[in-house]
Parts: sequence; C-alpha cells; structure tokens
Amino acid sequence: MKKSLNILLSTVVAVLLLAGCAANKAENTGNQASEVTKAAPKEETLKIFIPQPQFKEQYDKFVADFVAKVKAEKNIDVKVQMEMPPNDQAPQILKTRLAANDVPDVFALHAINDLPTYYKAGYVEDLSNQPFVEKILDSVKSAVTIEDKVLAVPLETLNWGYLYNKKIFADLGLEPPATVTEMKAVIETLKKNDITPFQLTYKEVSPPQLFNSLTIGAMVNTDNQDFIDRMNSDKGSYEEIKTELFGIFDLVSANGNDRALEVSPADGAAAFAQGETAMWVMGPWYADTILKSNPDIQIGVAPLPINDNPNATMINMSVSTSLVVATDSKNKELAYDFVNFVLDDNETNDLYKSLKFNPIAKNHTFETYPWVNDALDYIKEGKAYKDPSMPPAVKAEVGKLLQAYYSNSISQDDVISGLDRAWKNANKINN
Amino acid sequence: MKNKYLALLAFVAPAFIAYFVMLVIPTLGGFYYSFTDWNGLAKSYHFIGLDNFVEAVTDDPDFIHSISFTLKHVIFMVIAQNVIALLLAILIESQRKMKGFFRTIFFMPNMVSLIISSFIWTFMFSQVLPQLAVKTGWLFLNQEWSGNPKAAFFSIAIVSLWQGVGYMMIIYLAALQGVPQSLREAAIIDGASPVKSLVHITLPMITHAFTICFFLTLNSAFKVFDVVYGLTGGGPGRETQVITLNIFEEAFSNNFRYGYASAKSVLLFAMIMLFTFVQVFVMKKREVEA
Repeated sequence: MKKSLNILLSTVVAVLLLAGCAANKAENTGNQASEVTKAAPKEETLKIFIPQPQFKEQYDKFVADFVAKVKAEKNIDVKVQMEMPPNDQAPQILKTRLAANDVPDVFALHAINDLPTYYKAGYVEDLSNQPFVEKILDSVKSAVTIEDKVLAVPLETLNWGYLYNKKIFADLGLEPPATVTEMKAVIETLKKNDITPFQLTYKEVSPPQLFNSLTIGAMVNTDNQDFIDRMNSDKGSYEEIKTELFGIFDLVSANGNDRALEVSPADGAAAFAQGETAMWVMGPWYADTILKSNPDIQIGVAPLPINDNPNATMINMSVSTSLVVATDSKNKELAYDFVNFVLDDNETNDLYKSLKFNPIAKNHTFETYPWVNDALDYIKEGKAYKDPSMPPAVKAEVGKLLQAYYSNSISQDDVISGLDRAWKNANKINN
Repeated sequence: MKNKYLALLAFVAPAFIAYFVMLVIPTLGGFYYSFTDWNGLAKSYHFIGLDNFVEAVTDDPDFIHSISFTLKHVIFMVIAQNVIALLLAILIESQRKMKGFFRTIFFMPNMVSLIISSFIWTFMFSQVLPQLAVKTGWLFLNQEWSGNPKAAFFSIAIVSLWQGVGYMMIIYLAALQGVPQSLREAAIIDGASPVKSLVHITLPMITHAFTICFFLTLNSAFKVFDVVYGLTGGGPGRETQVITLNIFEEAFSNNFRYGYASAKSVLLFAMIMLFTFVQVFVMKKREVEA
C-alpha cells in the first residue's frame, strides 16, 4: 500500500516537473518571436569627466537629451557615467584615472593651459574630421588646434581686458581710454571725484598675472611679434617688454585701494560691486560674483591700454574648458557622437545659454549679456587677439614675482631675471 | 614561543596592514620617483640618478629660501610653543579652583582644524584687527598682517601657537601632576623658595615631557603646511613659502615635476630625521626618575 502511494506521488511530481519545463519552453519561444520584430537595445557605457559641479543641472539635462537621441537613432541604451569633481582637484583626479588606465571617454581640459601637454603625452584624439569642426567660429577654432589638428570642442570662452563700472563712467562723462595717456586723464578725473580708480586684489596670484597675458598679448600682436617664439628658444628676454609691463602695472597699482595683498578677488568683487572702485583688471568670469553683491551694477568690458599705441589696445580672447575624446577610449563612436551633440543645431543654443557661456559657433544665435556684447563689438572691429600661449609655470611665476614686487621685497630687475629664468627652466623641462 | 609571536602579529596586523598600504608603500614610491624625471602625466620617464638632489641643493634659490624660512619658523615655534605651554601649565596647576575650565579653554583651539583656524584668523587679520586699531588707537595692530613679509612671519606664528599650545599644555599638565608631592613638601620644609623648587625639583622631574613636547613641536614645525597655505599661500611672492609648500608647488603646479618634488621630500625627510634623532638622543640622556 505504502509502496504504491510512493510510486503515485513520484509520478505526479515527475509529471508536474515535466509540465513546468514545457511551460518554460513555451515562454522562451514566445520571447524569441518578439525579438525578431524589435531587436533588444544594445547597452553601452560612456564615461564623461567635466569638473564643473556648479553646472550639474544643466549638464544632466543635456546628457539626458543625448541619451534619448542615441536611443531613438541607434537603438543603444547609453549609460552615461558623469564625473564632476571640483575644479581645483580635477587635474589630480584626471591624471590618476589616466595613469590607472581608467580613461574617461570624453573629458574637459583648459584649451590654452592643459591641451598642449595632454596632446603631447598622447591622450587626446584628433577630431579634425568630425562634423562639428565646420561650425566653430574661426577665431575660436585656432585655440583648440595644434599642428593643424582640431583636438577639442570649445565650451567656455573668455573675452576680457578689464572691467569697469559703466554708471560711474557715464556720470563723469568718461569713455574707456585707448592709450595710457588717456588712461591717466581718466584716473585724474576719478580721483577728483573721490573715487578710487582701480580695484587691486593681489592676495591671490592670479590677478597680478593677468598683466602678463595682457602685455604680451598686445605686444606680440603689434611691435614685438616673435617675442614668444624667441622666448621658447631661449633667445628672448622680458627686458624687451619691461617698459610696457611695469608701465601699466605701476600705473594701476599706484592708483588702487590700500592693502592690496590682503584683498582676495572675492572681496574685490564685493567692493567693485558697491561702486567703491571704478575699474578692475579682471575678466568677466567674476561677473556672477559681482552681480550677487549688487544686481543693479552695470558692468562693462574694455581692452587695457599698455602704451600709447591705440592699435595695441585689444581684447584678449581665450578658450578655457573644452571637451576632448580620449585616444584610449573604448567607445569612440559614442564619444564622437557626444562631442558633436554639443554643437548640434537643435541643442547647442539651449546648452550654451543655460551655462551662460559665450557664443562660439556659427549656429549660436542666443541673447548674451551686455558685457559679452561689449567685448564682441571690439572683436568685430578686429581689436582682439588670441590669448598668447606660454608655459603655465611662467604664468604662475609672474603672479608670485609681481606680488613680491608690489610688497617692495624685490626690484623690477629681479622680476625680469626671475621670469627669464622660469621660462628657460620650462623650456629645458618640457623639450 | 612561536605561538606568542603569532598572537602578537595577529593583533598588530590590522593596523600594520593599513599603515603599510597607506604609508610605507607610497613612501617607498616617493623614494623611487625621486631618481626620475617623471612629470606625473607622461607614460614614460627616465632615471636620472642623483640629478634631482644636486639641483635642489645647488640650483634652486627658492628651495634654499624656503629651507631658511622654515628653520626660522622651527626655532621660533619650538621655543615659543614650549615656553608658553609650560607657563600655562604651571599657572593652571597653581590654581585651586576652575582648573578644568582653564584647561578646556586653552585646549579648545586644538579642536578646530588647522585650515579652518587659518581662515578664521585671515578674517581677524584683515578685518578685525585694523578696525580695532582705528577704534582704540593701538596703531601697532594696524599691520599688513598677511601682506607684509615681516608681519606675515608673525601672523603665521601667532596662529600656529594659538592652535598648538593647548596640546603641549596638556602634556605638561600631566607631567606636573606626576611629580611626587613628597619631594615638593620636603623642599618647602628645607626652606626652598617657590622659584627654587620649580627650577630644582619640578623641571628636572618633567624632562620626559620636554622630550616628547620638543619632539612633537620640532616635527610639526618642520612639516607646517595648512597654516601657511591658508593665511598667505606662501606669499607675497615666495616670501613666506615653507618647504612643504615649495614641494607642493613643484609637484602640483608650474612644470609638474613629480620626480623633482619627490627628491625634495626625501631631503625634508632626511632633515627632520636628523634633527629629531639628535634631539631625542640628547634629551633622553638628561631624564631623571624620582
């Protein structure tokens, strides 16, 4: 009796199991059938590295649009891994990634300061054949081109000279001066009206070093065209531009606020916003900070005169954040798609506008800020040059030496010899 | 016997493994890179023997300047920090009431991270003190505390002292409390004045605390970084640049010379080791026990 029960039970279980298998099989075939009509989307991962966490919202939206587009056109499910470390730690993190062979497919570099080094180290892909190249404005394109290869899509551009308070200038009937002599007249008028002419912010090294870029930029585009080439081959000396560099630096420093070595750019932005000072040798990248202090201020951008040649008074055009594709990227097609999408006709205006970046491409038609238009007017007149490219070590050295010079610790000649030495060292190390 | 060592090893292992991975391996890596010209980015680099060390010693005025500035800082800090800490400890120890209160107050700045305290003091130096000078007429307060190289030396020292004295004070306090009461009473009965009993009884009895405190202050003054970084950034120019800041600048800005910066770190390491060995050796000899 017991035995027969056992047999019965086992049979029942066996039948049930078989039935289960059969059911599974049926389901499987059903699946296959549906796959034939619509192929399952491929899954791909794209790693992007942009050290601008302040713009996370804007980039997230842009990436979502990109994902949707790729899904619709290529039926690929892109998983975008976006990395946005703070700007000051970014170089370290990026270098670690590159050294550990964990390369982001698309990453951001400073076009003037970083791009040449990374290109030389072999991390940057040539993008010359990509469709976006056609769209970039010629004046901007040169900044992302090395050895006739377009290497990056520019995001952020900076057109700068110095900032001035438009209301103060209008109230006193002043115009941005075109020569140093005119600048002296402007300074006199401001002083008579009890306004400090210049905002000085020498606590950090970046503000004094701006004088270097402005002086060299103006000189290599007028009287001393091969200065940088000769410096790069150890044949030049800062002695050649000493008059201009110290002429303008001394003039500005002598007519600024006190205790400049204790004023940080953030403090300076607040003082400038309150109308305590009329001019500030600084770029519009501080416009946001200034407007936070005083939303009603009218900021103007004008080129800084460095001598009495009005043709040398030009706007500095620089490209900073730019996107490149890694040579070691495992997903180049998608990476190319992404950099092209940045200048996509339907998307690019929204992206650049939401990021508050300047127009850089022919298909950029969005409204810009008044100070951006100021600078663009000069550029349209041809009064602009590309930010001169020099070793980053020299730029850093300028800031340090001019700080020390301002604090009366060293003389003009010490600054000159220090800069020559820094440039020679950079040549020696980088060649 | 073997078992005993095994058990000891097992207890030490978790800490030792962390120490080995986080500290020993990078240190050895640093030694290794100090003989190369690696720039932190390139995929290849060359061995250049002792060139980095030769350059640091013979052809780098900024590095030499940073060493002399650091030495000045070390001398000032080791003396001032220990003197002030000891005075505070003796003063607190001589109080009858409120011991705990004062101890807490003076130790408090030590709880604030160094970089935060240097930002607090940046505000003090650039806003509060000048205002105070105007209101009270104490014109000496109206210095360019971080802008003038001479004043900057003292503003760095002030912040380091404010932050570091409390810790040394606690060590001295503990040592003072360890001095046997019987010795002091005997001295008083023998008619020793308070000053005499301090010089001849108390101070000799706490030399072990001196050894520790000198070791700690020497070490930390050589390695000072956060305060200078936060207060002056080494500026104006490189006037207040200490060795660590010089190394930092060499490795992470300018020409990104990792190899060269590693060589400088090795030099700093050798310097600190030498100084502390001598200091500990000399002071150990002078310790006495009751």
